[in-house]
Amino acid sequence: MKKKKAQALFFTVALAMGLLSVGCGGGDEAAEGKTVIEMVQYKQEAVDVFEEFEKGFNETHDDILLKIDSPNDAMTILKTRFIREDDPDIIGIGGDINYSNFLDAEMLMDISDLDCLADIKQNYLDTNKDLEYVPQEGVYAMPYMANAAGILFNRDMFEEHDWEIPTTWEELLELCETIQSEGILPMYFGFKDSWTCLAPWNAIAVDLCESDLTYKVNSGETKFSEHYAEVAEKEKALLPYAQKNPVAQSYNDACTAFARGESAMYVIGNYAIPQIRSVNPDMNIGSFVFPASSNAEENILNSGNDLMFCVMSTCKNKEAAYEVLRYMQEDESIRTYLDAQSAVPCKKGDFDVVPELEEMREYIENGLVADYQDHHYPSEMAVDAMIQTYLLDDSADATETFMERFDTEWVRYNKDIIAKVKRYEEGE
Amino acid sequence: MKKKMAWSRNERIFLWMLTPILILFFCFNTLPLIKGFYYGLTNFRGYGNYDFVGLRNFADIFGDARVGKSYLFTFKYAIVMTIAVNVISLILALGLNSNIRGKNALRGVYFVPNILGGLVVGYIFSFIFTYILPAIGEATGSQFLSNSLLASTRWAWVAIVIVGAWQGIAMNTIIYISGLQTVPEEVYEAGMLDGATGWKKFKNITLPLIMPFVSINMVLCMKNAMMVFDQIMALTKGGPSQSTESISYLIYNNGMSGGQFGFQSANAFVFFIVIVAISLFQTKFLGSKEEQL
Amino acid sequence: MNKAKQNEGAVGGKLVNRIILALLIIGCLTILFPLYMTVIIAFKQPSEMTNDVAGALGFPQSWSLSNFAEAMRVTDFWHSLGNSLLLTGATVVICVLLHSLGGYLIGRKMRKLKFFNLAYLYLISGMFVPFAVLMMPLVKQTAQIGIANRFGVIVLYVVFFMPMNVMLYSGYLSNIPEALDEAACVDGAGVWQTFWKIIFPNMKPMHATVAVLTAMSTWNDVMTPLVIMSGTDQNTLPLAQLNFQTQFGTNYNLAFASYLLALLPILIFYIVCQKQIINGVVNGAVK
Repeated sequence: MKKKKAQALFFTVALAMGLLSVGCGGGDEAAEGKTVIEMVQYKQEAVDVFEEFEKGFNETHDDILLKIDSPNDAMTILKTRFIREDDPDIIGIGGDINYSNFLDAEMLMDISDLDCLADIKQNYLDTNKDLEYVPQEGVYAMPYMANAAGILFNRDMFEEHDWEIPTTWEELLELCETIQSEGILPMYFGFKDSWTCLAPWNAIAVDLCESDLTYKVNSGETKFSEHYAEVAEKEKALLPYAQKNPVAQSYNDACTAFARGESAMYVIGNYAIPQIRSVNPDMNIGSFVFPASSNAEENILNSGNDLMFCVMSTCKNKEAAYEVLRYMQEDESIRTYLDAQSAVPCKKGDFDVVPELEEMREYIENGLVADYQDHHYPSEMAVDAMIQTYLLDDSADATETFMERFDTEWVRYNKDIIAKVKRYEEGE
Repeated sequence: MKKKMAWSRNERIFLWMLTPILILFFCFNTLPLIKGFYYGLTNFRGYGNYDFVGLRNFADIFGDARVGKSYLFTFKYAIVMTIAVNVISLILALGLNSNIRGKNALRGVYFVPNILGGLVVGYIFSFIFTYILPAIGEATGSQFLSNSLLASTRWAWVAIVIVGAWQGIAMNTIIYISGLQTVPEEVYEAGMLDGATGWKKFKNITLPLIMPFVSINMVLCMKNAMMVFDQIMALTKGGPSQSTESISYLIYNNGMSGGQFGFQSANAFVFFIVIVAISLFQTKFLGSKEEQL
Repeated sequence: MNKAKQNEGAVGGKLVNRIILALLIIGCLTILFPLYMTVIIAFKQPSEMTNDVAGALGFPQSWSLSNFAEAMRVTDFWHSLGNSLLLTGATVVICVLLHSLGGYLIGRKMRKLKFFNLAYLYLISGMFVPFAVLMMPLVKQTAQIGIANRFGVIVLYVVFFMPMNVMLYSGYLSNIPEALDEAACVDGAGVWQTFWKIIFPNMKPMHATVAVLTAMSTWNDVMTPLVIMSGTDQNTLPLAQLNFQTQFGTNYNLAFASYLLALLPILIFYIVCQKQIINGVVNGAVK
C-alpha cells in the first residue's frame, strides 16, 4: 500500500516538474559571460532609435550586453515588473509623479558620481529637484530629452490665410474666431483618451500658476481652488472652437484629423509630432507657446523632462550601467535621437532646434520654461478624468463643483505625502 | 486527532492523496486572500518600502467617491444584465424549442457569441459604436445615434450592457432550452385539455417547471456580470469620466499601475465579502422560491 | 388552471411557427452582423474606409490576404497561438487528471468522514473568490517563487477551476456505484489503481464537460496572463490583441484582420465539436 502513496506523490511531482520544464524552456539567450544590462524605456514611439542605440552599443562594447525593451503601455508594465520584483537595471521614464514615487520608495540609485552629469543644463536637473516630495540629497536621474507643449499649428494653412501667432489670451480667442469664420475648424481634441485633457490644462496652468504650487498646497499654504479656477474656465472656453463632440475621438483620432488638415491647430505637446507624421509625413507643422495670460510676458513655455534615465538601486553592475548612460550622452547618440524625434536635448552644446519648434526657440534658449503641473498629481487621483468630467459638465456651477472636488480629493490621495511634508517642515 | 487513529488504512490513503491537492489550493487561493488582507493594512505601492496604516484603507473605502461609483456601476450593470439577459434568452429559448425547421442550425448560430473572447468582441463592438452607429445616425438625422454611445457619460454603460448581453444570452438560452426539454409533453397535453394556451400556458405550466433553470441562470449571469472586466478594457477603459469603472477594473487599474496596491487590496477584500454576501443571499432567496412552487 | 377553453388549431400553429422562424432568423442577423463586419473590414485597405456606412460595410475591392500577413507579423501570431494552445492544453490535461482524482477522493468519503466533508466545503468555497480579489497578492507570490511565467499561469488556472471541477466530478461520482470500488479492492487493486483503471474511465462524460468548460475559460481569459506575464515577451492570443490595440489602434483594417485571426481557432474548434461544446456547457451549469 505504501507504494500507492508514493505513486500518487510521484504523479503530482512529475506533473509539476514536466510543466516547470515547459515553463522555463526557451528565453535565456547565452550572454557568454558578458555583463547584461537591461533597460526598459517608456517612449514607445522612439523604439527605432533605441534599437539603434542597442545595436551601436553592443557593437562597441565586448564585455557588456545591453538589452533595451520599449513596451506598449510601458508604465503599467514597469510597475507590474516592480510588483513582481523583477527590476531592470536602467529605466527610461518621464519626469513625472512616477519618478517622485519611485524615488520616495527608495527604488533609485544616487548617481551624483556620474561624470557626464556635468554636461547637462542645470535647469533640467532643477526640474527634477522640484519633483521630490521632500528635498533629497543626491541626483537620481539623468535628464535626456525635454519636450515642449503648447499649440501645434498647420504652418501651410497659417501662411495661406495670413494668420498671426497669438501672444495673449485675447489674441488666441480672436484667432479662433477668424479661423472659424473662414469655415475651418480651429482646434481638434482627442478627449476620449482622458489624459489628453491635461495637455491644454498644463499649458494654461504654467502661464497662470507658480511652479511650486503643489509643494505650497502640501505644506498647507494655499489651496488649488484659488489658482485653478481660471485654468479650468480657460480650457473650457476652447471647446466651442473644437469639433462637436471631442470626447468621442481618441488621441490617435485627433492626431490623424490634424494631420489630414481637418483643423488648423491642435493643443498638444511636441511628443505628438511623430504620430502625426506617421499619417502625413510631409506635413509642415509649427508650434507656439500657449498664450493663457493677457500679459504676453507672463506666458512661458510648458516644458518638462520627457525622457530621463534612472539606475535602479537593485542594479548590481553600476559601472556597466554608467557606461550605457555615457554612450547615450555622446553627441552622436543625441543627434540620432533628434533626427528621429522632435525633442529638445538636455545636454549643453550646439544642437539645432528642430524646425517644428522654431517659434519656441527663444523660450528654450532663455530657459523661460516651467514643468507640467500634472507631474505632481498622483495617477490614482485621475485628475485627467476629473477634467474630462468638468468639460462635459454644462451646469452653471461646474467650476465650483470641480474645484471643490479637486481640493478634497487632493487631500484624500496625498495623505501620506502631506504628512511627510509636514514632518519635514517641522524637522527643519 | 483521536478520530484519525480510528480511520481505516484505505481512508488514510485517501487522506494522503488528497493532501497535496488541498495544499495546492491553500497556497494559491486561501493564502493570497489572507495576504491581500494584510496588504490592505498597509500603504504599499506594490514596490519599495511601506508602512502599516491599520484600518485606514478600509475606512477610506467607504468615503471614496470613486470606489462608491464603481460599486454603483457594477451593481447597476449586473442587475440590468441579469434581467435583460434572462428575459431575452427565455424568449429565444421558447422560440428555439418550438416546432420549427432548421432548429439545430439556428441554435448553433445563437451559441456562437458565447465561445468568442470578450476582449476581441469588445473591440469589434467598439468600432460599431464609434463609427457605424453614428454614421447611421447621421444618415437618418437622429441626434441621439449620431453621438457615439461610448462618449456619453449617461449611455456608455448601456453600450457595455449590449456587448455583455450579446455574449451572455447565448449561454443562458442553451440552458433554458435544456430546461424546456425536461418538461414532458404530457404535461402540456394535460394543460391543453384544461385550455391553457399562450401566456397562461407559459406562466402556469412552463415557468414553474423550469424554475430551477431560472435560478441557475440568474446566479450564473449575476456572477459573471459582477466580474465584468474584458468588455470594459476593450470598450471604454472605465471612461468617460470614470462612469464605467467596474470593481475589477478599478482594482486592476489603480492597484497594478496606479500605485494603490495597499488600498486596492483592501478594496478587493471588501469586494470578496460583498460577493459572498450576494451569493448567500441568492442561494437562500432563490432556494426558498423554488420550494414554494 | 381549470378554465375550459380549447383549441390551438393546426393551421394557426403552423403560421405561428413560421412567424417564430422568421423572427429567429432576423435575430440571427444581430449575431452575424458583427462577424460579417469583421470579415469585410479585415479584407479592405485603409483607403477604402470612407466615413459612411457603405465605406465600412461594402465589399472590399479585392479579397487580398495582405492585411492578414501583416497582422500575423506584427502580433507574432504563431507565437501567441502556440502559447494559447500550450496554456489551454496543459491546463485542460491537468484539470482533468487532478480534479477528477480530487473529486473521487472527496466524493467517496465526504458522506462518511467529517474531514472530507469539510475539505469539500473548503474547496467549494473557492467559487466565491473572484480572480480580481486574489490578483495582486498572486502577482507578488508567483514572482517571489519564480513562476511569473507560463507555468505559473497554468498553476493558477488549475487552482482557480478546482472548486467548480471538483464539485462536478464528485457530483458525477454518484453515477458510479461504490460496488465497483469494492470489487476492485477484492481483486487486490489499491486506491490508485482503482481510480485509474475503474473510476477514471467511467467518468468519461464528465471529462468532456470539464475539458470544454476549462478550455473555453482558459482560451478566452485575459486577466491572468495580463497580470502575470505582461512584459515578458510571452503573449496569448487575446493579450496580443490588447497590445496591438495600444500600438496600432487606428489602422482598423489591420486590427480587424488580427481580431479575425484571434477568433478563427476557436470558431473552427466550435464548428468541429459543436455538440460536445454545447453539451459540456449545459452539463456544467445544470449539474
